[in-house]
Amino acid sequence: MAKQMLLEDHIRKNKQNTVVICTFMALLFLSVVFSFGYIYFRNPYIALIFGVPIALVYIALTYSFSVQTVLSAAKARPANPRVREEKLLIYKAEEIAIAAGLPPPKVYVQDSEYINAFATGKKPENSVICVTTGALQKLKTDELEGVISHEMSHIQNHDILIATVTLAVVGSIALIAEILFYSFLWGGAGRSRGRNDGNAILIVIAIILVILAPIFSRLTYLAISRKREYLADANGARLSRNPEGLAKALEKIKNDIPSEKPKGSKTVAPLYIANPFKGQSVSSIWSTHPPLDERIKRLRSM
Amino acid sequence: MILEIGIIILVLILVIVLLVFLSYYNKIIRLENRIDNSWAQIDVQLKRRADLIPNLMETVKGYMTHEREVLENVTKARSAVMSADTPQKNIEADNMLSGALKSLFAVAENYPDLKANQNFLNLQDELTHTEDKIAYSRQHYNDSVLSFNNTIETFPGVIFAKRMGKTEREMLQIPEADKELPKVKF
Repeated sequence: MAKQMLLEDHIRKNKQNTVVICTFMALLFLSVVFSFGYIYFRNPYIALIFGVPIALVYIALTYSFSVQTVLSAAKARPANPRVREEKLLIYKAEEIAIAAGLPPPKVYVQDSEYINAFATGKKPENSVICVTTGALQKLKTDELEGVISHEMSHIQNHDILIATVTLAVVGSIALIAEILFYSFLWGGAGRSRGRNDGNAILIVIAIILVILAPIFSRLTYLAISRKREYLADANGARLSRNPEGLAKALEKIKNDIPSEKPKGSKTVAPLYIANPFKGQSVSSIWSTHPPLDERIKRLRSM
Repeated sequence: MILEIGIIILVLILVIVLLVFLSYYNKIIRLENRIDNSWAQIDVQLKRRADLIPNLMETVKGYMTHEREVLENVTKARSAVMSADTPQKNIEADNMLSGALKSLFAVAENYPDLKANQNFLNLQDELTHTEDKIAYSRQHYNDSVLSFNNTIETFPGVIFAKRMGKTEREMLQIPEADKELPKVKF
């Protein structure tokens, strides 16, 4: 029971951190929209009428096509039950789904030497897990179980929805900032209106906000992504009751240097269990995933 | 003026309390349903295992002709499970069946002809898969019970739970032998 408490604490802490960061993101979005409104219309609230629908449409579109987009970008194919390895993968996914209280996910396979996996889907009851053939060959049963549990946790925690929404907000902020930038280029908005010094200071603040917001929102998104990865590790350990399995899998990923180039576009990188595009030693505020060593350390302390 | 403000505040408090009660009511019901659902899930898997065994017996019969005892143990254990009438007997019989199956598969390692039989291999995979599913179903049941117990024992759930007449549920004691279920080797 004591071990369970430690896991639960990890889970709770990560969830709280996510709430804090998401709130910050929402405030950032609102401040950008307000700035836009202030600069253009001298009234922050007017821009809300444009800003919020832009974000909502963005979110709706990316979410609707998320599954097809991800699967085709990864060149994934449905798992073949006639191949024993893949049949056993389907079995394992079904077992972990039972542990999570979810219906079994659709199982896909990516032909790649890399050890990796990702999850996608519109909602937990209708989800997809994809594992590379490299993972099937190179991982032992308990290690594969750890990987599948990690992915199932992403599904259970609605991480796909959170990632989509957050990315859409990032995109909307960047879009609004770009609109503002080009409008300035083509004839200063509001510069001719009002010679009040106080207002000028506010305009400067608004401009700085709009320039920095895309960068900050991207950094925030990456921070959220990393927190959710830790959460998926912790929750996955709870599902499989075996943190060491995933720890060993991550170690194998760390030491794995395949000869081929990674498949799939960079945009799907955040969904993978480990980022295939960056060198393992490079892990910073610009990473979607926390450093592998830190993840292994946390798993072993559970 | 003060009276009106007082009344408004009182109404607000009542509304908030009502909303909190509603959300906890729903949560408690949902968690309880999850327990019942996971219990049913265990049964489904147990039945699946029982259904697979006659097929397994037919397949190995011709090969393991000198292993009468091992085979009989499986058949006896299966009957015991089907005829168990108390939860305690059920758990004991189930334990026996898992152990008997494990012995059978261990002994089967000595029969290369049997191991080359595709039917046997498929059955072995499926039975192992079913055993794993049983284990995970039990784990999910215990997780559901834990969530439920936590909700009705902590504040403010404890207040609403008493009024709803909900009491703590018991977890399954998973027998020691079960913990070493035959895991599939890749």
